[in-house]
Amino acid sequence: MDLLAQVLANGVLLGGLYAVMALGLALAWGVLNIVNLAHGSFIMLGGYAAWYLFTWLHIDPFLGLPLTAAMMFALGYALQRGVLNLIVRAPMFNTLLLTFGLDVVLSYLAQIVFSADFRTINPPYAGSQLNLGAVVLPVARLGAFTAAIVLTVGMWLFLLHTRIGRAIRATAQNLNAARLYGVEPRHLYALTFAIGCALAGASGALYGTVSQINPYIGATLTAKSFAIAIIGGLDNPLGVLVGGLFLGLIESLTALYIGPTWSDVASFGILVLVLIVRPTGLLGRTA
Amino acid sequence: MKRLRPLAVAAGLVLLAGVPWYGSDVLVQFGINALLLAVLAQGWNIIGGFTGYPSFGNSVFYGLGSYGVAIVMVQWHGSFALGLAFGVALAVVFAFVLGAPILRLRGHYFAIATLGLAQVMAAIIANVPLAGQNIGLVLPPLNDDRMFYELALTLLIAATATVYWLTRSRFGFGLIAIRENEEGAAVMGVDTTRYKVLAFTLSGTFSALAGGIHAYWITFLDPESAFDISLNVKMIIMAVFGGAGTVFGPIVGALSLSGISELLSSEVTRVAGLFFGIVIVAAVVLMPRGLADLARRGRRAGWRYFIENIRANRL
Repeated sequence: MDLLAQVLANGVLLGGLYAVMALGLALAWGVLNIVNLAHGSFIMLGGYAAWYLFTWLHIDPFLGLPLTAAMMFALGYALQRGVLNLIVRAPMFNTLLLTFGLDVVLSYLAQIVFSADFRTINPPYAGSQLNLGAVVLPVARLGAFTAAIVLTVGMWLFLLHTRIGRAIRATAQNLNAARLYGVEPRHLYALTFAIGCALAGASGALYGTVSQINPYIGATLTAKSFAIAIIGGLDNPLGVLVGGLFLGLIESLTALYIGPTWSDVASFGILVLVLIVRPTGLLGRTA
Repeated sequence: MKRLRPLAVAAGLVLLAGVPWYGSDVLVQFGINALLLAVLAQGWNIIGGFTGYPSFGNSVFYGLGSYGVAIVMVQWHGSFALGLAFGVALAVVFAFVLGAPILRLRGHYFAIATLGLAQVMAAIIANVPLAGQNIGLVLPPLNDDRMFYELALTLLIAATATVYWLTRSRFGFGLIAIRENEEGAAVMGVDTTRYKVLAFTLSGTFSALAGGIHAYWITFLDPESAFDISLNVKMIIMAVFGGAGTVFGPIVGALSLSGISELLSSEVTRVAGLFFGIVIVAAVVLMPRGLADLARRGRRAGWRYFIENIRANRL
């Protein structure tokens, strides 16, 4: 029983982090209709940014989150404005290919610049943990979970209540109508993609505190983000949060009851199964 | 000009087939790789280029073909031919069982579902003791590059003949109709599900055969390399770079891109991968319809051809 409680707690902590990873992917997909295969590489870059901030400038990864996010925001804005906007109206297959090309470029650049070594962000509190009865919660994981929840809920409120958030939602519903109301699409597309990138970067920084980063983590993280976005739907950050928690729990339970090597089978199996059974997503609309 | 065409093709074939007799060992090894990639690109062309379903799951067939050969030869001590047959059988079963539900999906969803399938298969194989789990399998070595080269070339010819047949058969026209307008095709009496599953199976068979040959040639495989998704993207890029939905485009794309990347990697190894990514980005932005279209329309329009492509697709 204690073991199960611990595994469930691990699953929830992991799931929160998963949610914020998938948030940016769902945003770009739902609003711009761009399925970003380079999403995992943006997470990876965010992880490295936080690692360098911590190792060189001794900035705590949690305090450095805004800085990491800002850097990734700039990169995302430039990429959308300079490259992705050029093919937005092409068949969807071309956007897939283009973002895969970006993924290859980013991961090779990372390999050349950062080397292929495994890196972990090790703040002083990395080893400490909180004892709640039978359940042990590592402080770093708890911090990452809390930050992830704050980011997700913040994103939800941002989309709901700000002027830019409303413009983004309007564009997702109908680009031409939004244009008539004064939305400048090139800027708004770049802004939306940049917000997605900033979220990916922040999640990468959080990921770096609880796990290892290397230039090759991108592909798996992209695939997991897909699974979450498909489960949670694309129109609501809270749906993505549910999807993330769901995937985190499934992975932890599979690892406990079937074996740790089967947790990838479970998460990707669910992705395929959900697509086959209910292509519109389990919760709400999917593009 | 028209009459010279079969002659040119025949001359090209003789030139290609003779490489192991007059070329160096390095050239032959490069040739095996490039020819197998061309087979993969041509196989993808059937489902992606002609039917319009951008499969990211062809590397699953490739992996099943490799594991078919490896399991038969290592675990059951069977022959290479039997291994190839077993690999193809696995691929055909996979295509039939999963083809129908997966091919109902369109656009992004189809692409992502096939991407997910590739990950699932790699993860499952890594747990199967018969397939050597995570460690992989080591095949008995056979030092006969000439044989592997001619085998790869034969397979490429078979794949190309199949694609050529598509351009002039009822089945091929059915696939093109599905690509252009699936509802329309159904109304015209095309049994779309059956056609799509058959195209998927055909495409997978060539990928599986290429995987089997590659496994025996390399003599080692593990789940990571056998189900590598970047291989799948390579075949897509080669087909698209040359011209998806044409007969010779994928071959031209595969041979030219492998050639360039081989030249680069002999100079600076790490730059070759980077180059590949840049080519993908540049090709999608500047010439999304491939070399075949560039040759046809680019000659008249000159450099404005690229500008027009950008103008057609930008926001």
